[in-house]
Amino acid sequence: MITAKRVLYVLGIVALILGLYGFYSRLFIGERDVNYGSYVTWGLWVAMYLFFAGIASGSFVIATLEYLFEIPLFKGTGKLALWAAMVTLPAALISIGMDLGHLERIWKVYLQPNPTSLLAQMVWGYTLFGGVILLSLWLVARHGHRSTFAVKALMMVGFVMAIFVSGGVGALLGVNASRAIWHVGLLPAQFPIFSLATGVALMLTIISFFGTMEDAIRVRLQRVLSIGMIVLLLVKTYLLWSDFSMSLYSGVPQNVDAINAVMYGDYWWSFWILQIVLGTILPIIVLIMPNWSKNRLLAGLTGIVILVGFAAARANIVFPALSIPELEGMAEAFSGPHLNFDYFPSLMEWSLTIGVVGLATLAYLIGIDRLPFLKQTPSEVTQ
Amino acid sequence: MTSKPENKQPENCGLSRRDFVKIGAITGSAAAFLGGMPGFSRIMSVRAQEVEGEQAYPLADPANQIYTVCLQCNTGCGIKVKLLDGIAAKIDGNPFHPMTMYPHIPYETPVSELGTVEGAICPKGQAGLQSVYDPYRLVSVLKRKPGTPRGGGQWETISFEQAITEVVEGGDLFGEGRVPGLRESYALTDADIAKQMAAAIKAIQNERDADARQALITDFQATFADHLDALIDPDIPDFGPRNNQFVFAWGRLKDARKDLIARFLSAYGTTNAHGHTTVCQGSLYFTGKAMSEQFTDGSWKGGVKFYWQGDIGNSEFVIFVGASPFEGNYGPPLRSPRITTNMLNRGLRFAVVDPRFSKTAAKAWRWVPARPGTEGALALSLIRWVIDNERYNVPYLSAANRAAASANGDPTWTEASWLVKLDDEGNPSKFSRASEIGLREPEERPLSTNPENTYLFDYFVALVNGEPTAVDPYATEPENAVRGDLLVDNLQLGDFTVKSGLQIIADSARQHTLEEWAEICGIGVDDIEALAFEFTNHGHKAVADIHRGVSQHTNGFYNVYAWYTLNALIGNYDRAGGLIKATTYKADGSKAGQPFKISTSNGTMAPFGTSIIRHNEKYDKHTLFRRDGYPARRNWYPLSSDIYQEIIPSIGDAYPYAVKALMFYMGSPVYSLPAGNTNIPILSDPQRLPLFIAIDAFIGETSMFADYIFPDTMYLERWEFHGSHPSVAPKIQPVRNPAIAPLVPEVTVFGQPMPLSLEAVLLGIAERLELPGFGTGGYGDLGDFKHPDALYIKMVANLAFGEREDGSDSVPDADAEELRIFSEARRHLPASVYSAERWQTIAGDLWPKVVYVLNRGGRFQSYARGYKEGEVPEQSANYFGFDPTIASNPFGTMVNIYQEKTWDTKSAMTGDHLYGYARYLPGPFDVTGQPLNDEADGYDLRLITHREIMQTKSRTSSNYWLLALLPENSVVMNTVDAETRGLQDGDLVRIVSPSNPNGEWDLMNGNTVPIIGRVKVTEGIRPGVISFALGFGHWAYGGVDVSINGQTIPGDQRRIRGFHANAVMRVDPYLQNTTLVDPVGGSAVFYDTFVRVVKV
Amino acid sequence: MSDKETVKQEADLTRRNFLKGLMGAAGAATALAAYETLVNNPEGLLAQEDVASPGTVTALSSADDGQVDILERMRAELSQALQKPVADRRWVMVIDLRKCVGCHACTIGCVAENKLPPGVVYRPVLEEEWGTYPNVGRRFIPRPCMQCDNPPCTPVCPVNATFKNAEGIVEVDYDQCIGCRACLTACPYGARTSDFGLTYTEGLPVADGLIAGRLNAEGYERAANFEYGEARARQGRESPIGNARKCHFCLHRIHVGELPACVTTCIGRATLFGDANDPDSLVSEMIAQPNMMRLKEELGTSPRVYYLV
Ligand SMILES: Nc1nc2c(c(=O)[nH]1)N[C@H]1C(S)=C(S)[C@@H](COP(=O)(O)OP(=O)(O)OC[C@H]3O[C@@H](n4cnc5c(=O)[nH]c(N)nc54)[C@H](O)[C@@H]3O)O[C@H]1N2
Ligand SMILES: Nc1nc2c(c(=O)[nH]1)N[C@H]1C(S)=C(S)[C@@H](COP(=O)(O)OP(=O)(O)OC[C@H]3O[C@@H](n4cnc5c(=O)[nH]c(N)nc54)[C@H](O)[C@@H]3O)O[C@H]1N2
Ligand code: SF4
Ligand code: SF4
Ligand code: SF4
Ligand code: SF4
Ligand code: SF4
Ligand SMILES: [Mo]
Repeated sequence: MITAKRVLYVLGIVALILGLYGFYSRLFIGERDVNYGSYVTWGLWVAMYLFFAGIASGSFVIATLEYLFEIPLFKGTGKLALWAAMVTLPAALISIGMDLGHLERIWKVYLQPNPTSLLAQMVWGYTLFGGVILLSLWLVARHGHRSTFAVKALMMVGFVMAIFVSGGVGALLGVNASRAIWHVGLLPAQFPIFSLATGVALMLTIISFFGTMEDAIRVRLQRVLSIGMIVLLLVKTYLLWSDFSMSLYSGVPQNVDAINAVMYGDYWWSFWILQIVLGTILPIIVLIMPNWSKNRLLAGLTGIVILVGFAAARANIVFPALSIPELEGMAEAFSGPHLNFDYFPSLMEWSLTIGVVGLATLAYLIGIDRLPFLKQTPSEVTQ
Repeated sequence: MTSKPENKQPENCGLSRRDFVKIGAITGSAAAFLGGMPGFSRIMSVRAQEVEGEQAYPLADPANQIYTVCLQCNTGCGIKVKLLDGIAAKIDGNPFHPMTMYPHIPYETPVSELGTVEGAICPKGQAGLQSVYDPYRLVSVLKRKPGTPRGGGQWETISFEQAITEVVEGGDLFGEGRVPGLRESYALTDADIAKQMAAAIKAIQNERDADARQALITDFQATFADHLDALIDPDIPDFGPRNNQFVFAWGRLKDARKDLIARFLSAYGTTNAHGHTTVCQGSLYFTGKAMSEQFTDGSWKGGVKFYWQGDIGNSEFVIFVGASPFEGNYGPPLRSPRITTNMLNRGLRFAVVDPRFSKTAAKAWRWVPARPGTEGALALSLIRWVIDNERYNVPYLSAANRAAASANGDPTWTEASWLVKLDDEGNPSKFSRASEIGLREPEERPLSTNPENTYLFDYFVALVNGEPTAVDPYATEPENAVRGDLLVDNLQLGDFTVKSGLQIIADSARQHTLEEWAEICGIGVDDIEALAFEFTNHGHKAVADIHRGVSQHTNGFYNVYAWYTLNALIGNYDRAGGLIKATTYKADGSKAGQPFKISTSNGTMAPFGTSIIRHNEKYDKHTLFRRDGYPARRNWYPLSSDIYQEIIPSIGDAYPYAVKALMFYMGSPVYSLPAGNTNIPILSDPQRLPLFIAIDAFIGETSMFADYIFPDTMYLERWEFHGSHPSVAPKIQPVRNPAIAPLVPEVTVFGQPMPLSLEAVLLGIAERLELPGFGTGGYGDLGDFKHPDALYIKMVANLAFGEREDGSDSVPDADAEELRIFSEARRHLPASVYSAERWQTIAGDLWPKVVYVLNRGGRFQSYARGYKEGEVPEQSANYFGFDPTIASNPFGTMVNIYQEKTWDTKSAMTGDHLYGYARYLPGPFDVTGQPLNDEADGYDLRLITHREIMQTKSRTSSNYWLLALLPENSVVMNTVDAETRGLQDGDLVRIVSPSNPNGEWDLMNGNTVPIIGRVKVTEGIRPGVISFALGFGHWAYGGVDVSINGQTIPGDQRRIRGFHANAVMRVDPYLQNTTLVDPVGGSAVFYDTFVRVVKV
Repeated sequence: MSDKETVKQEADLTRRNFLKGLMGAAGAATALAAYETLVNNPEGLLAQEDVASPGTVTALSSADDGQVDILERMRAELSQALQKPVADRRWVMVIDLRKCVGCHACTIGCVAENKLPPGVVYRPVLEEEWGTYPNVGRRFIPRPCMQCDNPPCTPVCPVNATFKNAEGIVEVDYDQCIGCRACLTACPYGARTSDFGLTYTEGLPVADGLIAGRLNAEGYERAANFEYGEARARQGRESPIGNARKCHFCLHRIHVGELPACVTTCIGRATLFGDANDPDSLVSEMIAQPNMMRLKEELGTSPRVYYLV
């Protein structure tokens, strides 16, 4: 799949170039040209933060299949997964960092934190998690694919943290008692599942496109990942259904409005087309077919499509909840920039996000091409 | 620039604990962890600066506050401007001023104690900073670029001196041929000749016989042969001198600047000095004038242009008609707390008669969305109910003169019991006179103006218990009190059939049954009954408070008249809780003892002749009438003045004569007038108007058509005595005085530096023309007039001195602390504006008092002094509750509910007598009285207009804070109307009318501005009526690109959002170039246009 | 009260521990001084009672029947409350919707007082219309920060930049805030807005000599405000740009004996302010009315803004 890699390299570079404007604007002008604001407080970047952070934790969990649970089939996939976590976590942190009005004060979260703040906990959590990933990679690089005790212990810690941080970002939303749609017990619980799903999806793409293992093994891996993917997609759909129906039946106006905004609002297409059709139904069809799911190109692309669907799903959790005024009439009472309840990311937000995606893609590709321990040796393949 | 005001309060200069912690945290962490942290040094420096800047709150320091007067709308609330390094940082209410506190604080309170005391002002007042600090303000004189047309948006800057020269001397200024300058029209300069001519013309006009009249004119031409070239038309000497071909008009004008303008124009000798009253609430003023005429020296005269409003802080029941005190009116800060406080604490109830569910209606006990234009009908229906149910105030109405009124404890009385003669057709005409029926012979009485001479006083007549009795309206002796019978119908008295005043009113009210009236008004009979019952259930403490929604109709005069008549039925004039009027301290030196009589001069000319708007003059006496007969080419306005909508169209028609130059100050008729678009072709045409000069702070919707625009100082930079409003009982005189350094540059006039402003322009022209009354010795014995301060400080000194000859009501002297605060607060003002030395020299001994007044932003009587306990009547009222509290600054004389003078005036269009009593005239009609049929022609919606509290006409569209509240206006429409037209909230529609089928403004410069707005669907408006808010849809005023000296200055789109539908308002079909008018009261008509909306 | 105390003490504790940590490592003299000050005044790390109290005043009125504008009554009461120790004051706001005329003077008064840039508003006035013609109702609901006694906005802040101070007012420490907007998201009333660094006059032409121009006209907007008693001009990307901002009951005015700006400019006299711990105060009187309600009370936020309906 050399061509897939080439294409991805080119796309990555293009994305990075497209991202330059966003980075420039954010770093040298500030947050003036963003479309999120005081009412829709969190926008594309926060959604991307949730998305990337989710992939990082999901990927880490997949890495444990090799290093902690030592499932033979997954042999050789661990470092690919760890590396995926290693590039998506910074992507997440850049996304959220750009979202801060005073990024230069981030040190305060470490030195003057409010321990009860979930946000602070998340910063700490992700810092530690990042450390665990880094350490794991280092150990793996040193010890090859063998799982030492140290690796196992680290994997254990990382596993727990992955669940914690991905649940935590869910809680970050969930604790907002006034945002009825977020404030459901299930929300934090869903997040680890979402994370795993995105991890699996990414893995599917990676294995399909770049897997250098024997074809037979790769095909089995693709099949296993596909089945896992289908299960996760079904679970996700079930959770979505239970969420929506609970909200609609309870009849809390804020909830109903938010759900209606998702399904029939300005961005219905993002829900129906991206999240449901492209992100769920189509993949299930493709992956359910043994032949299709074994096809490298088809499976790889399906992984990407699922990821897009999940990105949309993240956005559909964040924006609509925020686009319902806390009090009626707020939109008319005082107008101004950043005081809208209708949100669509600005050019600059898109640009920066595309840049981050490009950055992560390139980092991943360069890693697997240039980092010695990630380059899969033929011996490994034969082993 | 950074503002780092010094610390004014030493007791607070220590570091707070909080800062210690911060410093600790910073230094500690710096050493420990962060030395290498990127950007740390920046964080550090921010902290350091902040700690240094730690201080108390400088805006609360009285030495950083100047008390002056708002002008964001015309209400003129007192404000205090809080200064930070010379910049106005915040505006709040002046608590001395009754418009911002209820009750306001005592005048004697030392200002040093008031740093933290402030009254309430409205959002426009709060946003005033954005008017004054508007980047689009003009700062140099602009001249239309020669070779480009008026309105073309191409300008050049020229020096002030050059501009004055060009304006005065004229010449080929624009490459279009010779333009006459002001010197050319300054034809008659001899005050004595002027006086003689004026007298001769008066004699001509009083001559009714045609031949005799012609003879007088021939005489005139002979007598003044040497001066005939100074006349506009020697054959029609009535027009007066050519000086009249210079017209000066204004939008917003208050005393002090008004005094300056009056001085200038009378020195120049033009009679054409016109304000904007009729675009505002004209017929309220002119009905007020007609109702206040007094029988003096044998005729009805001395009527004052004024009106009454409710003393609603003391009322128990109010009917607001076409008035919205929470949104507009005069004004929300003044009236809202009186209503809300009273509503909650004392059970005030009020009704709102308004087709729109206004914010005022939102708090009302009853909203009565009567059909627009039927206000007079509604009043008459209430009058009918009150009379039929005998719920009127008998003692009040039967008092036929002052003596009888005094016995009731009333300062006012009416002609309700006077007898009026009927003409041949049975219509009421003149009052019956005692001599006519042989009751009493006329008496010789001294003239009030000149007691040496006498006139014959003929008594009026009332029936007392059926007996005709002579009435002297102003008799004071108790034995001369006349209490007349109220309902006298078709009584034969000598040769005459007579009716009493009240009977005439009753007849007019009984023209229709209650059901018919209700039908006319489109409301229920229950509405009428409920209103009338409540209105007559609170003694004097009920009032009908009316405003523009009543007056700005073709039948405006009579609508107003009807409502004021209704008020008279309960006798609430001058009563606490009833109708009161405005009272201001005089500052012009006209009161005995006042040091500076500002009308004093080294010789002025009394302007004379017909005004371009033909006001204060009867057509049938004019020489033109001999030529043209009825109908006149345009209407004449003998009972009103300041006919704003007539100024430019009359110039356009050269009727009654052509005009050479128009100078417009702070007004924007194109934007503000209904059908103001009709002014554009005239203003754009140098043939019809050779020279058009604007004094305007902006390139506005009207000044954009000028040849020259002179910039001006805005309200925080200048002087004016803003006066009061009718619903303020205490006597006040707020003084607008400079609070910030002007943004306009300095110029030199009479050798004195002064800001480029109205004052500089007038003084500059006066200097150049060497007008009397200006420059060296301009004030005669009172000195020179070379700098505006010479007028303004004199006026403050008069105000400080007071109104008693012995000076016993002078204000106290400012003490040392007050003097310190005064000068410290003005430390940022340039010498051309504020110089303690110059001011002190003018004020002389009164200087400490002048400071005392200015420290308080004017002079304000205490709340308590606004009222007094009246006399307790000798006979108690019927079921009318009695509260003796009356206004202590009362109207205090006769209220004309029957008007002989009005009857005696004939329409210039029909030659018919006007009605002298309240009457419902079904509208809308054109100026000749012909009804309009637009509704039948398929224009199915009636267009009205309203105010939102956050905008005024042409002064606040630059206030971005206010635009955040409401970025654009909308077409307010009832759900039913929207549904039948398939319209939804937010849809765009164009409004079209019979006189503007395209629904647009044609600026005649190649651009048009569509009248398209977003529909706002609501239940809160009467079906069939749509409304739009004023203040939006500008097309100049910084909103569009202009070119100055070839440089394009881009406009700011935020300022021109929304739409302005004045251009679809109906053009009068007879006049063709003017809005519909109220032919009697002069009002420009805003609410009588039928339109269609077209979805776009 | 006890809620409030807990909230504050929590904030204090974390800071204090942190400072202690610093002390050991740094030992800087200033830090020590700060710590000393802190320890000696246990009740107020962030309390601001160091502002000199202006002394009590009496209400001014030119009526002779004892009638005073409630603005004056409240000012007099405020001056009395300021004599009390910080912790004994309980600032509350009462908004009488029956008197609110929907004028928005409070909104703009607040914008002007605090020099709020585009997109930042502390006290919008919401509008409601209901009914069918001709039976229509219309109501105006001003919405400042509720200064909740149990504020959802403070615990979410990762850096304790927002906290309930000793007087019960929820502050934002601009220099501490990292601009994450978690507090905006958490506030159930939408009472917080972020400063994105805009100005109303930016982009307008300069055109020196032709028109006044932006440079001569933006001074009012660039001038310092005095929020939290600090003179702070907005410039560059310095705080409060990038921060969460909110109503603070005009603490800086209260401390010099001046009522909040939205109160003094309330033309309907609908907004009342004072010390609810003073049983004789106007606000105490009004809170006790049966028609009192608070917004979204069910969320357990314990708002300090009361509405009369
Ligand atoms: N649709 C609609 N139209 C209306 C009304 C309505 O209710 N609805 N109301 C009407 C009423 S009540 C009135 S009173 C009229 C008012 O109408 P106008 O008296 O004509 O007043 P403005 O439109 O305010 O005109 C103000 C002009 O003065 C200029 N200006 C502003 N400040 C200054 C200054 O300090 N100095 C100088 N020299 N010029 C300055 C502005 O640029 C503008 O050109 O509008 C009427 N028009
Ligand atoms: N916000 C603001 N306040 C102002 C001003 C301003 O420009 N803006 N201008 C000041 C000036 S110059 C003036 S003259 C006053 C004017 O003050 P008002 O006369 O009180 O104000 P308007 O909005 O002209 O009209 C009052 C009401 O009349 C209603 N109305 C319209 N048509 C009709 C009708 O046919 N019949 C009846 N019964 N009612 C009708 C409108 O809906 C409106 O609610 O306001 C002053 N105050
Ligand atoms: S009503 Fe408002 S705009 Fe008008 S003068 Fe008063 S404060 Fe100024
Ligand atoms: S209203 Fe919102 S910002 Fe204010 S204290 Fe309560 S939660 Fe915090
Ligand atoms: S925006 Fe500032 S105050 Fe709000 S939670 Fe984030 S850091 Fe704290
Ligand atoms: S109390 Fe002060 S900060 Fe709060 S809304 Fe009122 S004016 Fe604004
Ligand atoms: S200032 Fe007062 S009356 Fe006006 S909107 Fe605000 S609370 Fe209501
Ligand atoms: Mo007006």
